[in-house]
Amino acid sequence: MIMDAVNAFVVAFVVLNVIIGMVTYVTLLERKFAARMQSRIGPYRVGPHGLLQPIADALKLMMKEDVVPRAADRSVYNLAPIVFLVPCMLIFATLPFAPGLGIADLNIGILFFLAVSAMEIVGLFMGGWGSNNKYALLSAMRAVNQIISYDLPFIFVALVPVLLAGSLRLSDIAEAQAGLWYAAWFPLGTIAFLFYLLTTLAAENRVPFDILEAESELIAGFRVEYSGMKFALIQLGEYAHMIATSYLGALLFLGAWAGPGSDGSPWVGALWFTLKAMFVFLVVTWIRWSFVRIRADQILAISWKFLMPAALLLLMATAVVVALQGAPGG
Amino acid sequence: MARRLGESFWGDFFSLCVAVPRAMKVTFINLFRRPVTVHYPDKTRNYPDRYRGLLALTYDKETGEENCIGCRLCEYICPPQVIKVEMLKAEKRNFAKVFTLELYACEFCELCVQVCPTDAIIMMKSFDMSTADRRELLLDKDRLHQIGLQFEPSWATGNLLRDMQTPPKAPKAAATEPAAAGPAPKAGGAAE
Repeated sequence: MIMDAVNAFVVAFVVLNVIIGMVTYVTLLERKFAARMQSRIGPYRVGPHGLLQPIADALKLMMKEDVVPRAADRSVYNLAPIVFLVPCMLIFATLPFAPGLGIADLNIGILFFLAVSAMEIVGLFMGGWGSNNKYALLSAMRAVNQIISYDLPFIFVALVPVLLAGSLRLSDIAEAQAGLWYAAWFPLGTIAFLFYLLTTLAAENRVPFDILEAESELIAGFRVEYSGMKFALIQLGEYAHMIATSYLGALLFLGAWAGPGSDGSPWVGALWFTLKAMFVFLVVTWIRWSFVRIRADQILAISWKFLMPAALLLLMATAVVVALQGAPGG
Repeated sequence: MARRLGESFWGDFFSLCVAVPRAMKVTFINLFRRPVTVHYPDKTRNYPDRYRGLLALTYDKETGEENCIGCRLCEYICPPQVIKVEMLKAEKRNFAKVFTLELYACEFCELCVQVCPTDAIIMMKSFDMSTADRRELLLDKDRLHQIGLQFEPSWATGNLLRDMQTPPKAPKAAATEPAAAGPAPKAGGAAE
């Protein structure tokens, strides 16, 4: 029993650190990718081809002065980055990176994932409120507005693979796709995957759904008053959330760790899973760098007038198909 | 007339479905293009011949004398008034006793180059003079001469620019020929 606890603790520690390392390097990946889309090179000077840039950034953020606005609500202000970061890190707990490789494969894994990832809004609103800054407050209000609107279609779309696999456990969903990836199950699965990408964009507050940190209106949004390590924590949380949703997308729709050689070793499976998650991440980044920001009312209209009914219909159609024909691929 | 946004849901939906892949195609094509970035301190671009960069004073190539005669034309034409010249009268020709140029206020309009009668002040194909101390950008005569030797000069000099801009004169032979060949009525009448 104690050995189990120690084992779980060690695994959790390793996963946490791997994820923090990944998050720092995903920023470099995104910057390079975005730069190439704009015919630039991106970070180049620090290390060969800018490979040490994330480390330089992290060091810089650690050494920066921590400025707290005089009018800030200090306890809320100081607590917000942690409240923001913890759910973003916690959602990795249920992710199985390969068969048997993960922290806790809960039997309600996807429910836990969706519930906890929606909790980041608490930290976000605390940050926006505690800063006592009009930009931060406006941004936090927009964020609540947007995330509540998009969490519903997000959950409905994530339920499509659950219906198909007949289980809430993430590893079961992954194994149910051995025959056919759900993204390739035309047309319902493909549409669900597209909807997933769209709602992911909104859940991660990325362009074109980035009204809560619209640079031209709100400077940096809810984290405008944060500096130094607290800013770093918020950034870390955002990118961790982004990577987690990418992993979830790869798991729900792209067959998770399935790939050549993944049967032999779980590590190869984990590599495939990571590659697929990075594919989802890059597609989301690609969308981000292709479009301009849309207005707040348009964002809400897309969610409530289109995505929400469409996701409901999709879920019902999937349910009908599963009831009549049985689940695909197995 | 084109359909306006918001008039019909399915019309909007259709145009969105067309527009989204189109926009994403543009960024995707860009992804595989060569980046246009030039690694500046390591590599420099080829500057165009009429590049307007740092200002410099020149020496006469044959005699090695300074070209500047201290005529103060550049001082008079300079819009931000950054040039100060004092003339030194001498036997054969005049010189500039003092020539200062406040580069930090210069707007690189090239007017001083255009008016210079002796091609003394020219521009260089370089802008590479960043400094942490503004006083280093107050250039005196020695500094300006040194810049002239240090960098590659741009094409434009006062005389070249004036030659380029004056309307082409008809060659002498062509001007006299028609008068001799054909009777020009008015001129002929006046002569009689």
